[in-house]
Amino acid sequence: MVKRSKKGQEEMVGFAMIIIVVAIIMLVFLGFSLRKPQAENVESYEVESFLQATLQYTTDCENNIQKLSVQRLISSCYKKEQCLDGRKTCDVLKTEMEGILNESWKTGEERPVKGYDFKIGTDKNETLISFSQGEITSSSKGAVQDFSGGIEITFKAYY
Amino acid sequence: MQTLVGEKMKNKKAQLKIQQMAFMLMAITLFFALVGMFFLTLQVSRIRESASSLEEKNALLLVTKLANSPEFSCGNSFGTMGTSCVDSDKVMALKNNIGKYKNFWGASSIEIRKIYPLSQSVECTSSSYPNCNLIKITDEEITSEYSNFVSLCRKEFSDGETYDKCELARLMVGYNG
Repeated sequence: MVKRSKKGQEEMVGFAMIIIVVAIIMLVFLGFSLRKPQAENVESYEVESFLQATLQYTTDCENNIQKLSVQRLISSCYKKEQCLDGRKTCDVLKTEMEGILNESWKTGEERPVKGYDFKIGTDKNETLISFSQGEITSSSKGAVQDFSGGIEITFKAYY
Repeated sequence: MQTLVGEKMKNKKAQLKIQQMAFMLMAITLFFALVGMFFLTLQVSRIRESASSLEEKNALLLVTKLANSPEFSCGNSFGTMGTSCVDSDKVMALKNNIGKYKNFWGASSIEIRKIYPLSQSVECTSSSYPNCNLIKITDEEITSEYSNFVSLCRKEFSDGETYDKCELARLMVGYNG
């Protein structure tokens, strides 16, 4: 009787050992699979190029010297200046940016870009213009452009 | 007689034990093989994903590199040394001499398409330029295409004065194979 129960105990210890070993191996595998890949920060070429190209775009707003680029128009809007034809620079900036964003980033459920956020703000927490379209998803590509005078342009595209 | 029966019983028990052990070993091996296969599949799919993302990044970098190459870039002609700025006058000159650049960039097709301001779809030729929206530099059959935003600039003449005019465009590079 004593011999039988000792054998039973041995089998149970063996079984427990196997379960422990399997559990440890499973944990190791789980640890490897849950290890997050390194954060990727080289993914925003398209967004960065978009911002750079947009800043160079020539608008139809003129001052005494030249037709203003979007970059100069932003500075003029910050200073609350007007175009030579009397339009407010901020109004022109808003119209031009709306057109550029609509044509460059077409959003929709069936499209790769689901939505976007565009904002031109100042260091005084003032928003010069801001556009949002489509839905905000968990994966995004973004770029920030700073100017002297505390102006900051932020663009985020959601995929 | 009794000892022979006892010995036979012991043998049978030992055989049963060996069988039990063999089954257990087989079950454990099978279990680990299945787990291993599961993780292997997971890893392979991850590697494939990262390979395609690397390929895309590489292609996008090539587009950016192309936009900033001397044959395309604005340089200092438009006031600032802006990146992603393409001189459309240079590109039209390049289009007319593209035979000299055969296989130079390794791309099958290179095109620049204006996206803003909106205009009718007209291919740029010596006669239609600059009132056009598509510059086809090379045009061969392609299997994959990558593009990036560029600023397409030129010198415009108005009211007796010359000024810089930059529009928003996409530089598209296509590959075959």
